[in-house]
Amino acid sequence: MLADRPPFEDLYREYLGRIYAYVRSQVGTSADAEDITAQVFMNAYQAYARFEARNTTPAAWLFRIARNATLDHFRAHGRRERLRRTIEHQPQAEEDPASEAEERIRYRALLGHVALLPERQRDAISLRHSGLTFEEVGTLMSCSEDAAKMLYHRALKALKDSVQKEGA
Amino acid sequence: MSEPEELELQALQRQLDDAFETTRPRPGFEDDLWLRMQSRRPFTTRLGDAIAGLVAGIRAVPAVPLASVAAVLVVLLGVGLFSLSGLGRGGASGTERQLSLNAGGAAAVPTSAGSFGRLPSPVLAPAGASQGPQLSLPAPAPAAGTYAGPVTLTWAGQVNVSIGTAPVFRYSEPSTDSADQFAASLGAALERRPAGLLGLYTASDYTLSVRGTVQAPAQEPAYFILTAPSLPGVSAAGAQPADIAELFLAEHSLAPQWPYTTTVDGPADQLRVHFLRQFETPGYGLAHLVDSGGNGYGLEVDLNGNRPVLASGPLPVSLDSAPYPIISPDQAVRDALASSPPPSADGVPPVKVQLTSAELVYVLVAAGDHSFYEPAFLFSGSFQVNGVQYVKRVLVPAVDPSQRG
Repeated sequence: MLADRPPFEDLYREYLGRIYAYVRSQVGTSADAEDITAQVFMNAYQAYARFEARNTTPAAWLFRIARNATLDHFRAHGRRERLRRTIEHQPQAEEDPASEAEERIRYRALLGHVALLPERQRDAISLRHSGLTFEEVGTLMSCSEDAAKMLYHRALKALKDSVQKEGA
Repeated sequence: MSEPEELELQALQRQLDDAFETTRPRPGFEDDLWLRMQSRRPFTTRLGDAIAGLVAGIRAVPAVPLASVAAVLVVLLGVGLFSLSGLGRGGASGTERQLSLNAGGAAAVPTSAGSFGRLPSPVLAPAGASQGPQLSLPAPAPAAGTYAGPVTLTWAGQVNVSIGTAPVFRYSEPSTDSADQFAASLGAALERRPAGLLGLYTASDYTLSVRGTVQAPAQEPAYFILTAPSLPGVSAAGAQPADIAELFLAEHSLAPQWPYTTTVDGPADQLRVHFLRQFETPGYGLAHLVDSGGNGYGLEVDLNGNRPVLASGPLPVSLDSAPYPIISPDQAVRDALASSPPPSADGVPPVKVQLTSAELVYVLVAAGDHSFYEPAFLFSGSFQVNGVQYVKRVLVPAVDPSQRG
């Protein structure tokens, strides 16, 4: 019902940063993160008339769209990304000039480690630290709340090992 | 788990919290994106338009003689070495990025069946054209080797199209504001608005021209990027031309957001990379966008060595989609076979041509305020005359005639 839904702009202002951070933790450049984030909110804007607050939370709804958009991005750009990696003289993702505009990112290295985790572990970490409950994480990842917790903790340990391995 | 390890994990969680809380887009992105979203018509407005379309029918669509409703596009293209060169198409092709996220077909906003009202019908060109009747669709210049004589068609293939409906895509004619937003998203500034263009823009290493729909022969709104001589080549050891074009497009935020296949043609020092656009058709798969000659097209990048010279593609536009009933494969075959041009007056005997393949494609139909990408059947078959290989292509509009104006 319309009365159940806040104005879309409220959602937009509240969740843009969180959605961007989630997407940014999944993809290699801030430019890609902006493109995907834009797609997420444009899709959400168009679909908002069908959003029913009694069935899901706005956060879970938006993160579902974001997760799908990110997966679509990987599917669509897999070839290009592989190409980039194999071509000499191409700048590394972190040298992408577009990322220079991303002034507020302070934990680039840590997010880099997150991005290297297996897909489900990466998702569990990213969704959880984007502010979702374990129940919401489980719903998005098609598993139970308990399974989401276990996955998250395994991911956390894998992340710790990855960070320590680089520091060693 | 040991206490030290537990403490390490807690510290890591705090870092992750900080990382996710402080990772934010660049300043200005939030407002930029909001403005872009506001520039798009809301869904409810589009839905209202669709309902109005049912009532108003095909307003703004040129009058079409009833006799041409069942028109079948017949194009004889001498293929030889020229069949799929695409060189005649000059660049009405396309790319959409943020501004056109639903412009790739698959993500277009769906509405109810037939909700665009009666669709504009393909219009026959005046009789007497050497290639037979043509629609008012993008018409490439006749390729060298075009066979202009009469033919008799037979069919010996299978039409693997089992769907009863297919989406029709519609876009509204873009405004100068749309063109300005697109240019701004690329970092180009308006220089002036010459006649016939929505705008001419400049950036540090290229000029950008944007024009609206061309009605006849129909071409979608398009942009053209002409690079400055100072633009360096793409430095990519081992990259093939298509890879260079992809990198150039990606670097300029112009990479196609729709499905495509890639072809390359032209002499070695003047290669043209074609990103042939496809539309997602539920139940069928990906269908190429073709011009009136049956040639696929999309976004094109001209290369001089490793230096992109010209890139052209469709202006980002928002697409609505609505499913429409389509004719059966049997009916499509009958229409294709009935499309043989009349015997020539000079008594040249018709050549027997066997059509052997068929696929679902999309064609652009320009129609004033709103234009459409409509499904069609593309039949083709090769034949020889005096030792020269030709390919005959026949385009049959797929939308059921009852749905056309």
